[in-house]
Amino acid sequence: MPDEQRPVELILARSLIANLTTPGFLVDEEGIVVFFNDAASVILGVRFEEVGRMGPERWATEFGPYDEAGERVPPEQVALAVALREERPTTARYRLRSLNGVDHDIEAAAVPILTMEGTRGAMVFFWPVEES
Amino acid sequence: MKIKVWGARGSVPAPGPETVRYGGNTSCVEITLSDGTLLALDAGTGIRSMGLALGERGRRIHILLTHLHMDHIQGLMFFAPAFNPTAEMVIWGPEAPDASLRDRIARYISAPLSPVEVRELPCHVSFNEAPHTEWRIGSATIRAASVTHRGPTLGYRVTEGDVSLCYIPDHEPALGADIERDDPEWISGFELAHGATLLLHDGQYTNAEYPPRVGWGHSKLSDALAFARRVDTGRLVVFHHDPLHTDDFLDALQGGAIERWTELGGDPSQVEFAAERRELVIDRSPT
Repeated sequence: MPDEQRPVELILARSLIANLTTPGFLVDEEGIVVFFNDAASVILGVRFEEVGRMGPERWATEFGPYDEAGERVPPEQVALAVALREERPTTARYRLRSLNGVDHDIEAAAVPILTMEGTRGAMVFFWPVEES
Repeated sequence: MKIKVWGARGSVPAPGPETVRYGGNTSCVEITLSDGTLLALDAGTGIRSMGLALGERGRRIHILLTHLHMDHIQGLMFFAPAFNPTAEMVIWGPEAPDASLRDRIARYISAPLSPVEVRELPCHVSFNEAPHTEWRIGSATIRAASVTHRGPTLGYRVTEGDVSLCYIPDHEPALGADIERDDPEWISGFELAHGATLLLHDGQYTNAEYPPRVGWGHSKLSDALAFARRVDTGRLVVFHHDPLHTDDFLDALQGGAIERWTELGGDPSQVEFAAERRELVIDRSPT
């Protein structure tokens, strides 16, 4: 088999996100982005199928996020990292930079996927609050 | 590994002259391992007949529950070994955040639904949440994995030597997924069922019945076939028949399923619909 079977909770989360027009992405328990939907691709400037799964470092290099001063937010402080580490939902405001160079001010909500077998990952939804 | 189907109906018992051949009892499958260990997969109403047939063999039994919907536990209260003080019954099932397996089953085996409480069962009964890793029962290795259905639900894989039975009676792997094209890692139950000698799998609905029931946790027949092809099982036994499906209707569906399976490149002898009292033996070559 090419990859280990994903837990059913992650499979269902991916299915949900894929069918939403709310921009969203899914990370596994290690914080690796394993999927983002078409609505997210509009903001990110690239489709998931074009880039594939991305670790936190690559995500940070490609998209940020950045704070209001334009400084990169440390990976451990981004909403999804907090959601995974502290096993609680969290929200934050950031600036994302799309692959085509456009900055988007966004609000993000990260929700951990907690199961009887532990934390399986997190869903992150985000939406533009003000175009810069 | 010897297998006997005691109940293949889904949702609710469907007795009557129109369901005599496939049977009206709900989910229950007996497995006898090569060392004589006895397992029951689910405890739907079919387990009542199984209990009556066991005799002395029912002195020690492991019951593997996929989930706690009524059609999978209703027979527990009518299972003869449960009322035998010399019998030992070990019940396995999915864990849930709200209560232990014992307490959740006790919601059924208690007033006002039952005249007997769990603590009053004469047999020696124990309850175990299915481990997250493989475990041994007798001469078999058991594996449980969560699968797409409503509420905490497991599928089981029972492996003995180089043969394996995979049992996923309530399963909707096509919910939001493309069984034929998605990567295996994103298909519910794939790893559990991959390469199984025999797969008993949900095929409750016709393609026409399915659309208004999307999300109910069951498969349409074409999805059951697609899943079986994708996981490369040696043999598919379609399970969890809809209570509205009569014998004649199931005959016709089975014919269509075999035709479709052949179109997909499979051998027609690899597909059948589960019928009550059907016995199967799996070794290297399923018979």
